[in-house]
Amino acid sequence: MTFRIKVWDLPLRIFHWLLVAAVSAAFVTGELGGALQDWHGRIGVAVLGLLVFRLAWGLVGSHHARFSTFFPTPGRVRAYIKGEWQGHGHNPLGALSVLALLGVLATLVSTGLFANDDIAFEGPMVGLISKDLSDQVSYWHSLIFNVLAGLVVLHVAAITFYLKVKKTNLVLPMLTGEKRLPHPVPEHAKGAGLIGFILVAAMSGVVVWIVASGTLLHILQPAPVVPPAPTAAQNW
Amino acid sequence: MKSKLLIALLLILASSAVIAGKAEDQQIKSRQSAYGFAGWNLGKIKDQVVDHPDTYNKDQVIAAANAIAAVANSGLGALFGPGTDEGTGWAKTRLKPEFFQQPEEAKKLATDFNREANELAKVAAGGDAGAIKTQFAKLADTCKACHKSFKIKE
Repeated sequence: MTFRIKVWDLPLRIFHWLLVAAVSAAFVTGELGGALQDWHGRIGVAVLGLLVFRLAWGLVGSHHARFSTFFPTPGRVRAYIKGEWQGHGHNPLGALSVLALLGVLATLVSTGLFANDDIAFEGPMVGLISKDLSDQVSYWHSLIFNVLAGLVVLHVAAITFYLKVKKTNLVLPMLTGEKRLPHPVPEHAKGAGLIGFILVAAMSGVVVWIVASGTLLHILQPAPVVPPAPTAAQNW
Repeated sequence: MKSKLLIALLLILASSAVIAGKAEDQQIKSRQSAYGFAGWNLGKIKDQVVDHPDTYNKDQVIAAANAIAAVANSGLGALFGPGTDEGTGWAKTRLKPEFFQQPEEAKKLATDFNREANELAKVAAGGDAGAIKTQFAKLADTCKACHKSFKIKE
């Protein structure tokens, strides 16, 4: 007999798969560049929105989505390595991977906001720094991508390891939200619910809008710094 | 006496090295200027046909496209002389040494850029903002192709 328990709430699952799609699209558009560079920039801002959502959901989401539930404290990691960990969400090593992925993505997005492609693309916050610094940041952006690629490979390898060696399917729960256990577990605390989800999603949307529309740039630096086209007064 | 001769010889060698370096640096400086100027014009076109189509100004886009075509048609290849993968123009060059190991590929990428730049000037004269946007994208792709192969990321 197996018992089903809910581990991943719906917003968390949607976040996860949207992030997979967005990061894949960002990878392709970033590699191809040229005319697709604009899309790379838009997708990057969307990833920013997803990250803001995840951060807030980690505070108000359901039990297993919360950072406090799975934060990999040294004690938890030690217990896991000794085989004493008994949980159903992210295990402490998985939690390290989750935090590393989120951290590296946040670094990628923040550097991307200040990057340029040396052709005709500039991130939405480029106006705040010099071209030289933006060039430097663009280089970091491309370097940090390698770290993300490594973590993604590790992530997929770990899932494959669980599937083949430990005979545990981790992908299915990320689709259905449910895990099957041989024994019942007490009902877990409920999360933010629909209202909380709407509030958190709306907040993420506002952040995306502020960055994408250039509003933040205007507040921080009202004067445009892009070399302008000729004006009527200097039309020679 | 011998040591004086040696010093003189060394001075001549050193100064000829500096002069030789100067020729390369000048090529690097000129091409950095050319691409920087083309970039300004590319930015204006992007602003008026991609980012803010409501500000499209046919004459300004024509002027910008003609400027890019003029840069492309100016014989930029002359600014990529041997040894110019090292040196400093306005800044240290970011040309990869591979540029000189794959002259056929370098020529192809440069020719692609020239062709699309001239096509953009032609399309700009037509005044169809949609067509200019499409051609702008084609030109940007040729920039990317060459950066990817021959420009150091840093």
